[in-house]
Amino acid sequence: MSALLEAEGLVKRFPVRDALGRRAGAVHAVDGVSLSVAQGEVLGIVGESGCGKSTLGRLLLNLITPDAGTVRFSGDDLTRLSASALRARRRDMQLIFQDPFASLDPRMTVEQAVAEPLRLHRIVPRAQERDRVAELLSRVGLRPELARRWPHEFSGGQRQRIAIARALASQPKLIIGDEPVSALDVSVQAQVVNLLSDLIRDLGLTFVLISHDLGVVRHVADRVAVMYLGRIVEQGPAEDVLSAPKHPYTRALLAAVPGHGAKAPPIEGDVPSPIAPPPGCRFHTRCPFAVERCRTDQPALGDGLHRVACHLADSLPPPATRPDRLAGGERLRRLQSFFRAPGPLPGAPA
Amino acid sequence: MSASTAPTALPAAESPTRRAIKRFLRHRLAVFGLVVVVLFVAVAILAPLIAPYDPLQTSWSRIRKPPSFDHWMGTDENGRDVLSRVIWGARASMMAGVISVLGALAIGVPLGLLAGLAGGWVDAVISRVADAMLSVPFLILAIALAAFLGPALENAMIAIAVTASPVFVRLSRGMALDAKATDWIEAARALGNPPWRTAFVHVLPNIVPPLLVQASLAIAEAIIAEAALSFLGLGMQPPNPSWGSMLNSSQRFLTQAPWLSIFPGVTIMIVVLAFNLMGDGLRDALDPRADKT
Repeated sequence: MSALLEAEGLVKRFPVRDALGRRAGAVHAVDGVSLSVAQGEVLGIVGESGCGKSTLGRLLLNLITPDAGTVRFSGDDLTRLSASALRARRRDMQLIFQDPFASLDPRMTVEQAVAEPLRLHRIVPRAQERDRVAELLSRVGLRPELARRWPHEFSGGQRQRIAIARALASQPKLIIGDEPVSALDVSVQAQVVNLLSDLIRDLGLTFVLISHDLGVVRHVADRVAVMYLGRIVEQGPAEDVLSAPKHPYTRALLAAVPGHGAKAPPIEGDVPSPIAPPPGCRFHTRCPFAVERCRTDQPALGDGLHRVACHLADSLPPPATRPDRLAGGERLRRLQSFFRAPGPLPGAPA
Repeated sequence: MSASTAPTALPAAESPTRRAIKRFLRHRLAVFGLVVVVLFVAVAILAPLIAPYDPLQTSWSRIRKPPSFDHWMGTDENGRDVLSRVIWGARASMMAGVISVLGALAIGVPLGLLAGLAGGWVDAVISRVADAMLSVPFLILAIALAAFLGPALENAMIAIAVTASPVFVRLSRGMALDAKATDWIEAARALGNPPWRTAFVHVLPNIVPPLLVQASLAIAEAIIAEAALSFLGLGMQPPNPSWGSMLNSSQRFLTQAPWLSIFPGVTIMIVVLAFNLMGDGLRDALDPRADKT
């Protein structure tokens, strides 16, 4: 498997200004992230809110330009492409947004929204547009008759399906899902997660799933990267990271999943301000194992399949209870089996 | 999806526009305003057919006659039929109102979108110029421009268009800034829309409602401005009729022949009121909060 997407040393800081408009510092949203996604792979990026996940997603698509670092997408350095070359490249990489109530243009019908990428990248002749849209809509489980309707007539789950159909329209090589289900009701979440994993399997999509929901990530991801305060602290095959976490932060994150069973101590305190991230290991302020070295030396992510950025990774005691692999996803799984039952998808909203 | 379920009948799709029209039609005063506006537009268009006399035809035997069956609004100081002049004057006023506001939209909206979406120094330059123009009273600026361009109806319309445009710059800039922060604009970019397409295909349709409201109110203002310019001799030139120039020539006879000023004056009032009522109705009908379901 060759890397379809490769990010190298990405840095993004957002300037913070005081009341007089002077630069008063910067939010270190993403601070030196490198990762690669192989063709056909599903990478899950997990972390608390505010850890820079969404910024990273937008950096990967070059929707915002990094302050440092490069993003290579099937050979091209996106940060160096001209504006028009980048636009043409967008055919191959799409984004699914978190909030389906905000990501669809309120003045465009479903058909117009889904047909837009077809038109922008001249994918099918105009005459075939309508058929293609109908095809895409049924692909995501919506009735093609709904094409002439406006977004306000749909529920959240249906809108997210529309957004997914739009993302699929240009037959992209890569889709980034920025918390694609977290704005939805739990029951609908399961449906949309199922839809996504079906699409990933059937279309062989390369997918980057950004989520704070470990259950969702466990369900679809091949590989997982855990972010904390703008950095990746642990990265590896989903199975390994989620069942044998090495980083204290990942352990705490897994222990916090409700119904998990593991009684690891919850992490104390709040995430430190990203305006003045702590020196050394970013997690040392909340890490129960922190030693002197963690306060001064920034740990590197290391090498190999399962990488971890922790000085003590090899000397940590084993997790209090070995997390049960299934427990975290149990709730989701039950919901999924319930909602996967064949039946009509809700058509028109009530 | 099982085939066992019969397809449920779908109610007709409702576009945001259609829903707005429904809300507008429930608003009685607004509908009244619309009817009056349509009426005056018709009068302006059909002036040659419905005017009972030639508006320029003078007659020494009928100078300053009060309203009568022959001359419903009386005759003026040159013996011309006031009703015919009011009817023909509708042309000048409606044209001045509508065309100058269309001009203001054509100048203001692209600049506002550019300022809002481009940001940076482009925004700074456009916004400061618009602010500078807004800091001068509307009529003073229009008078100065019209005087500079020379007295003619076309020049008055150009002056009004230019003077009214900063309002639209401001409005569309603000709306563009709002839109820029939304996910669907980011989505438009992520899909590969070039900036101009994002501006005109995504942002513009979404800011039409407030522009429409502002435009209908601006037409009322433009009609007053045209009347004021004509009153000052900077708009429609005599002997051609316009409500403003009729007021100008009638002021000398305010006590002896009040009908000369009352009829054009009341007409201006009615038309301006109608546009304002229509604008208010549009504002209510197009309120984005009413669209949230």
